[in-house]
Amino acid sequence: MTSVLARLKGVERRFGSVQALAGADLEVRAGEVHAVLGENGAGKSTLLRVVGGMLRPDTGLLEIAGEPALLASPRDAWARGVGLVHQHFMLVPAFTVLENLALGRRGWRGRRTRDDRGLIEDATRLMDRTGLVVPLDALVEQLSVGHKQRVEILRTLLREPSVIALDEPTAALAPAETGALFALLRQLAGEGRGVVLVAHKIDEVLGVADRVTVLRKGRTVLCEPRERVDAGTLVAAMVGRDAPSRSLEDAPPGPTRPGARARGERVAWLDAVVVRDDSGRVSVDRASLEVHRGEIVGVASIEGSGQRELALVLSGRRDPAAGAATISAGVGFVPQDRTTEALIGEFDLVENVALALHDDPRVASRLRIDWREARALAQDVIARFGVVAPGVDVPAAELSGGNQQRLVVGRELLVASDLLVAENPARGLDVAATAFVHHELRRLTSDASGPGVVLVSNDLDEALALSDRLFVMSRGRLLPVPDAQRTREGVGTLMLGGGAGIDAEGRGAAGAAHA
Amino acid sequence: MAAASVVATGVVAAALLWVGGYDPLAAARAAARGAFGGRDAILSITLVRAIPLVLTGLAVALAFLAGTWNIGAEGQLYAGAVAGVWVGLEAGRLPAWALVPLLLAAAMVAGALWASVPILMKLRLGVGEVITSLLMSFVAVNLAAYMVHGPLQEPRGVFPQTAAIADAARLPMLVPGTRLHVGAVLAIALAVALWWLLRETRIGFQVRAVGASRTAAEIAGRIDSRRVTLGAFLASGALAGLAGGVQVAGVTYALYEGLSPGWGYTAIAVALLAGLHPLGVLVTGLLFGALDAGAAAMQRDAGVPAVWAMGVQALVILAVLALGRAQRHAEAELTGV
Repeated sequence: MTSVLARLKGVERRFGSVQALAGADLEVRAGEVHAVLGENGAGKSTLLRVVGGMLRPDTGLLEIAGEPALLASPRDAWARGVGLVHQHFMLVPAFTVLENLALGRRGWRGRRTRDDRGLIEDATRLMDRTGLVVPLDALVEQLSVGHKQRVEILRTLLREPSVIALDEPTAALAPAETGALFALLRQLAGEGRGVVLVAHKIDEVLGVADRVTVLRKGRTVLCEPRERVDAGTLVAAMVGRDAPSRSLEDAPPGPTRPGARARGERVAWLDAVVVRDDSGRVSVDRASLEVHRGEIVGVASIEGSGQRELALVLSGRRDPAAGAATISAGVGFVPQDRTTEALIGEFDLVENVALALHDDPRVASRLRIDWREARALAQDVIARFGVVAPGVDVPAAELSGGNQQRLVVGRELLVASDLLVAENPARGLDVAATAFVHHELRRLTSDASGPGVVLVSNDLDEALALSDRLFVMSRGRLLPVPDAQRTREGVGTLMLGGGAGIDAEGRGAAGAAHA
Repeated sequence: MAAASVVATGVVAAALLWVGGYDPLAAARAAARGAFGGRDAILSITLVRAIPLVLTGLAVALAFLAGTWNIGAEGQLYAGAVAGVWVGLEAGRLPAWALVPLLLAAAMVAGALWASVPILMKLRLGVGEVITSLLMSFVAVNLAAYMVHGPLQEPRGVFPQTAAIADAARLPMLVPGTRLHVGAVLAIALAVALWWLLRETRIGFQVRAVGASRTAAEIAGRIDSRRVTLGAFLASGALAGLAGGVQVAGVTYALYEGLSPGWGYTAIAVALLAGLHPLGVLVTGLLFGALDAGAAAMQRDAGVPAVWAMGVQALVILAVLALGRAQRHAEAELTGV
């Protein structure tokens, strides 16, 4: 009979109007690696932060080592032997590794860390035991991502936690580093600790976990031992079998979309495009794609799969590192984050419309901007797209999220004579605003003379409902979705890096991890 | 709001002077007379002192509007003064119609060059321009000191200053019998031009967009923010350099140590107080010119030492900034933002 180190039952937590956790359960036993899976926004990180004492639940039970625990701070969690390894490293970049380790140390009183023999000995012994070797006198800001994570894990382990929880630790790691990390997690479990691992790649989870918990919309929907689940059951649990979200049913019926419509001329063409992110990692790996007038091309993906960089290339905002991108001139872009990327909050609506049109002959000559024309266009956008605003002279920041998005969509449609790239265009919008955006995308592509649309979405229902052709972005690869696989489960499996042979792969990784 | 801050500042300043053992009323009378007491005080002192403040204030406002922190207007001013004097000495045989523009252009180029170091370090190496532009000022001040002790020292080698620049290099007077030179017209024209540029032109809009949100300017506006930042910062340096050129060509006719009593730094207050509005800079530049003139008179006529006068100046800045902030806060409360 293994002992339960931590138990959460019926935990609820709300942020403003968002119910992040709505009845989440989790049980961590000594000696197990327990994986927590879920789609974006399912509440994985929130759950982990509750365990780590960074968030207090609104309701629900939290027990540590069999006793009810009220964690008011990470310090409380530490005192009870729970250590959290954060997804975004909580390290001081300008400090050395040793100084960062000292920060997490019990009873540290700010001695000169360079002379702290005890700390140096402990750290060295821990590095020997775990194989996580990092130069102690190196500055953290000069370390690679993988090494920063080592420091974060070392700092957690230095306090000898009985429960160690890791939030998406593999997100930034190379495959070899991932293998080493998993071997370490198995080793820690072998020492009798409980390991909680938040992840969103199913094959990884199947390779390392003893038990799996799946969260959906803040609720625990599955908790099973590894040998009782496979990729299919996990995907089904994650995406659910419930009907598509209301908004798509409520949307005004779009024009019928005959399967074999004549497509218009080609407006965008990617040929083996490679994009690197700021740290030089390949985020888009040889993606090829053609977009024609009058079609919606969907790209479904989970966050961080390279879909962001793909959208930037398609919208002409970024040049590929390799390969060829041929994009027509009239490109509109609805970026994911309207408050920071699409609009300038302190600018009024006229200026925000001009932002996308300041090099457009309708509004600007070589030297000047024609503000009367810009104002007329802004008023036109407001009227046609139902933006609720007291006038065009108010700052964009004063509009509600839905009205900001109507403004952005309306503005970009002024520009998108050839192509519109929309990145999660309905994120954070209410039902009516979502329906509006979806209706506009459909209307825009109702015949072959309209622009082509690329819809990049993390929302499976949205991508499935709107796309004429559907692709999946998974770890930088752009994969077409075969018609036979155009279901929530089928696309979900592709999105999460699975597909045929996932089980064999998963087992293979497990073998490596155990070795 | 402005009235309230003036009253509040007056009260605190009077209390300060009284604590220090001075007669607040006499000091205030001396200050007012020094700044506004008659044609001479206004035209020859207050306005003349406002000119470099307006020019450097415009320089700082432009950089801040573009989202970069040019703290080094003082150094760019000195760079402009050195270059201006050098042209005024070396090219003295040119006719005035060619020499004056050449001198001012040289000052602007020198200011822009001085500003290019911090902004290129920022764009190429990611080094923060706040520190580098400030440090470049110390270099410029010392460079000017070296010039007047060495290469550009007046021929007899007695005084630590340059010889006087050629007559043809000097700015004409605006009002005969006063010291008000045409630099005043230049300052007003540039303020209006900058206002028009920011408001009406594409490049001005791009500057404001990059300053307000670099991300949105790049993503939604497809603006090359690095180019805009570079251009705005260099133009800012050119304006500050011009302040130095105008000062040597219009007032001192020579370069010496301590040419500027810190105009390049006061310019930050001038610009912020004006809400970075170019036309507002005309008003706040004038205000600080008057404070400067008043402080000098306070010291001369009421025996209040310069440090006290400077303290009063600082109080005015604090009062206006604090009240402005309080007002914005109150507005935010009312509109529920």
